[in-house]
Amino acid sequence: MSEVKIFVIDNGGQWTHREWRVLKYLGVETRIFPNTTPFEELVEEGADGLVLSGGAPRIGLNEELGRCGEYLEKGDFPILGICAGHQFMARFFGGKVEPADVPEFGRIELVIDEDHEIFEGLPKKSVAWASHNDEVTIVPEEFVILAHSKDCKVEAMAHKSRPLVGLQFHPEVEHTEFGVRIFKNFVEICRENR
Amino acid sequence: MFDPKEFVDDAIKKLRGEIKGKALVACSGGVDSTVTAVLTYKAIGDRLYALHVDTGLLRKHETEQVKELFQKIGIPLNCIDASDRFFEKLKGVADPEKKRRVIGELFVRVFEEFAEEKGIEYLVQGTIAPDWIESGDQLRDTIKTHHNVGGLPKDIKLKVVEPLRDLYKDEVRKVARFLNIPISEKQPFPGPGLAVRVIGEVTREKVEVVREACAIVEEEIEKASKEGRMSLPWQYFAVLLPVRTVGVHGDKRAYGYTIAVRAIDSIDAMTGSFSRIPHDILDRIATRISNEIGDKVTRVVYDITNKPPATIEWE
Repeated sequence: MSEVKIFVIDNGGQWTHREWRVLKYLGVETRIFPNTTPFEELVEEGADGLVLSGGAPRIGLNEELGRCGEYLEKGDFPILGICAGHQFMARFFGGKVEPADVPEFGRIELVIDEDHEIFEGLPKKSVAWASHNDEVTIVPEEFVILAHSKDCKVEAMAHKSRPLVGLQFHPEVEHTEFGVRIFKNFVEICRENR
Repeated sequence: MFDPKEFVDDAIKKLRGEIKGKALVACSGGVDSTVTAVLTYKAIGDRLYALHVDTGLLRKHETEQVKELFQKIGIPLNCIDASDRFFEKLKGVADPEKKRRVIGELFVRVFEEFAEEKGIEYLVQGTIAPDWIESGDQLRDTIKTHHNVGGLPKDIKLKVVEPLRDLYKDEVRKVARFLNIPISEKQPFPGPGLAVRVIGEVTREKVEVVREACAIVEEEIEKASKEGRMSLPWQYFAVLLPVRTVGVHGDKRAYGYTIAVRAIDSIDAMTGSFSRIPHDILDRIATRISNEIGDKVTRVVYDITNKPPATIEWE
């Protein structure tokens, strides 16, 4: 079987290219697409999964994040939302995003609350890096909270029936202890879903 | 997962296809531009002109070291001293973004003059991923204008070629080791040089102070690392702050600038944590700075912020 194809949707994050690099290192066929790319084009290119990158837009304040809504609506493949991508996912499904009481920049302790394939092989507590002003304050009904930190209740969430995962922290940066493992797990989720 | 041989073969092939005539490669003596020069030289041989511009904003002995390096790797090097022009253009400029743009533009003007003289059409640059990521675009916020990306004037006459665009520093180092480039492990140094380590307006006097302070920080940390006291940080340097504070030197009141010491651990410059330098080594650094440039500096502080929220360089 051919390699899994996972595309990175660029929402203008500082670490979009890092996401691409981690996937590339894992042997995945990957490319970066602007968030204005029509959904049909991603399908034609053979996407087995998407990563919605972070970005500077304040999701709590902005309505749209390119065509990310279209991907979430029409995609039958796994989607991993990171930071702004995660926040947009929450809002798209009826959750709420607001300015965080305590924004997180840099090191956090990630505490896993709920078993999920995305965190397979991770200890209950590990070091992760975050960089955000806003956060998900109300998780949509079809989602469960997977992890939290001291200052952020929703560090990770997953859809109850679809392969959709949102992460507030950044698994793609070197300083996140189990970041590569999280990406490996996501690649596995995409492989199984094909 | 990253195969330097594959990258080198591929890059040389692409460079041969892309560069039709003569090309100029701008060489600071750092890892990125040296790797770029070696790759391009392998691709197009004598049609390549390596050019080093002394901006007056380089570290101690840097221009001599670049000359030695290029002699070792066997690429002829052209040198231009443009320091007067750089200081002239920087007069009255305090805003960090403006500084970076002024320097980026002047670099290109110097390149263009040289190119015109030699009939060169292409400018090959050692731009790597963080340079264009942090420079921003329609989608991405500008964190810093890197001189070789955001600092390029819009009316640039040369065609820009960037063979390392998709690499991060750790990958560039792997390529450098593969190519046997002796400075493969050299710490990164920003394109605008010491201008972004002098907070506020840049003057020759202030650059001189921060150059000495940087040399002390480098010497002491490299010594400590050789002694096995600490591992070598990703980057380690001094910053001159325009804040003046009171000191007491030999029973007399002193009133001078502040030096901030910065040392940070990172893999790719996109995230970083401040280095845990043993206190006695910090002590050595502070004492040497106070003694050797005490006529200008009365206080030394250590920067303990990570990236994010801070960046590595202060501007």
